[in-house]
Amino acid sequence: MGQVEVALIGAGLIARLHLDAWVLAGASVRVYSDDGRAEELAAEFGVRAVGSLGAALDGVDAVDICTPTGSHHQIAMAAIAAGVAVVCEKPLSASTAEAEEIVDAAERAGVPLYPAHDLRFSPPFARLHRLVASGGLGRGAVARFTVTGFHPRPWIGQVSARAGGILTDQMLHGVDLAHWIFGDVVRVHAYYQGDIATPAPAGTVGVGTAVLTHASGAISQIVSRWTAKQLPPIRVAFRVSGTGGTVDYDSEWPQEVRATGGAAEKFQYHGESPFVAEMREFAQAFAGGPEPRLGARDALAAVRLTQAAAESAWSGRAVELPVKGAA
Amino acid sequence: MKIAVLSFDEDYVRLLAEMPGVEVVVAGPDDRVRAAADRLGVAHVDSWDEVFALRPRAVVVTSEVARRRDLVERAAGVGAQVLCEHPLAVGEADAQAMVDACAAAGVRLTVASPACFSPAFAVVRQGIADSGVGELLTVHGAFNSPGRSRGGALDDHAPYVLDLVDAVLGGEVADQVYAQANSIVSGQPGTESAAFVSVRYPSGVVAAIDCSWGPSVNQRAGDTPEMTFVGDQGSVEFTANPRLLGGFDRWEAKTDPRSVMLTEFVAAVAEGRAVGPDGAAGVRALRVVRAARESARTGRPVDL
Ligand SMILES: NC(=O)c1ccc[n+]([C@@H]2O[C@H](COP(=O)([O-])OP(=O)(O)OC[C@H]3O[C@@H](n4cnc5c(N)ncnc54)[C@H](O)[C@@H]3O)[C@@H](O)[C@H]2O)c1
Repeated sequence: MGQVEVALIGAGLIARLHLDAWVLAGASVRVYSDDGRAEELAAEFGVRAVGSLGAALDGVDAVDICTPTGSHHQIAMAAIAAGVAVVCEKPLSASTAEAEEIVDAAERAGVPLYPAHDLRFSPPFARLHRLVASGGLGRGAVARFTVTGFHPRPWIGQVSARAGGILTDQMLHGVDLAHWIFGDVVRVHAYYQGDIATPAPAGTVGVGTAVLTHASGAISQIVSRWTAKQLPPIRVAFRVSGTGGTVDYDSEWPQEVRATGGAAEKFQYHGESPFVAEMREFAQAFAGGPEPRLGARDALAAVRLTQAAAESAWSGRAVELPVKGAA
Repeated sequence: MKIAVLSFDEDYVRLLAEMPGVEVVVAGPDDRVRAAADRLGVAHVDSWDEVFALRPRAVVVTSEVARRRDLVERAAGVGAQVLCEHPLAVGEADAQAMVDACAAAGVRLTVASPACFSPAFAVVRQGIADSGVGELLTVHGAFNSPGRSRGGALDDHAPYVLDLVDAVLGGEVADQVYAQANSIVSGQPGTESAAFVSVRYPSGVVAAIDCSWGPSVNQRAGDTPEMTFVGDQGSVEFTANPRLLGGFDRWEAKTDPRSVMLTEFVAAVAEGRAVGPDGAAGVRALRVVRAARESARTGRPVDL
């Protein structure tokens, strides 16, 4: 297989980051969005725009869905029906039923489905996973993740606890990481604060607080926040312990370069974006390389956890999840 | 000012003995206690009867939990101000009796929760009260000090985080508690080394608490909680034990967070004012910890 051909759907915030990464990963990209911004975005990166979803999917190896969550299902099903591999922004869906349908269809059609859970490609998280998986932390016992972002996108809309709110959106990052390192979850409890109008006004805040109990006996806590101000744009931190020790991380820690005063913008260095590592890994898989670090089942597991968190928040109960393999 | 430390706790005795104007007295028939008292240059008597006959101005209660009620009641009986460690008692009834005894005697029962006495915390509390983070939504607190042989993470760590939340919420009574715990790191079933507690208050505030044991050598995970108070307009982080020096462990002598507490306590006793969490806060913390224990056992949230 030569150069991987990708149809990028959407031209918003996340589409721009993905497009940059696909280009750096050496893919050939066409862009389609329904808001007329595809041309401009495509031109900026020297790729082409197309005028319909059909034209986007025609003859490509993969589609990359960067549209609002509510439209993921329809676009993914169209791609799967056309035999096109799917990369999909998180969350695959805010509903377990929809996510199951997508995963079933992909598996039945033998079409690869890779969810874009970008934090798994961020070096501290990738390193954490390697450490836990290699037994370096001994038996995993306890993990806490905090994700803080200025984020509410206008389309997030009804974000009551019942509709999921932050629990079925940004919380996905934390539950995915917990599930990645500690495995299956048998019980979820969550609180949700911040009942937000539709469409969500700028400066909208929300906080989700979840506790996961893993089948292994390990426990995880996730605190997910949408902040009113864009400072910092995003902050992630974790602390994980096992019988062999503890590791922690905070994105506020100084990295290679930190400028103070002066022209701070002249000293921007953040290393390679996790999106580049992500798209390179997906592109290699499409070109016949090894399977990426995550697949359809991970997307589904994460959606189930976020939906369980939402269910817990509005029912006031802890939600028990069936254990795989139990009678 | 005469202050009795009952029973003998070397750190408390040393910190108090270093303070100007404080005369420490300890009690115990044991030669070991007498020798330690001599070494630290503090007064020693053989029995509690003798200590209380000396009419100390304040009593610091550090004994095993089962004897705390008796000690606090006797201290109140001689009009001494009391500083008592967590938990006040095993059960709520005993703890409430201690609160009542102190109230009846007109003395203040103060709970030894070091971070609450920090002047930095006073600023955090005031700033939050003055809408510095907007409307308070969530408190995220972590207390990951190294595991001690004493007890589990819930008993040993949760009360200190709860006290900070309680101080900011002005004593609001929690209405629901959820907790999960395990003893993977301790390796001893029954001694939980990891625990998360989620607490909901009627005002809608949620506290998400991590009271898991921390590693034994970690300079950053100090011996006090690390807190984030999240409001709808911003958030503020607080630790009573900021990092001073980086470097080799053996060089970094951490300040004992209890020294700030004892300084504040002694000054408050001298000036006849109140400082730190009171007995009622101690009872509220006890109630939440007991509910957390039940929740961890049943896997269900517990309504209070
Ligand atoms: N990984 C992360 O940290 C992260 C961050 C932000 C957003 N996201 C995810 O990315 C997705 C998109 O978010 P965003 O912030 O980029 O949104 P956005 O509103 O900035 O952009 C959405 C784009 O999709 C287009 N679009 C909408 N419906 C379409 C359709 N049916 N067909 C074609 N184009 C359509 C819009 O015209 C727009 O160009 C969401 O699922 C979100 O959860 C993930």
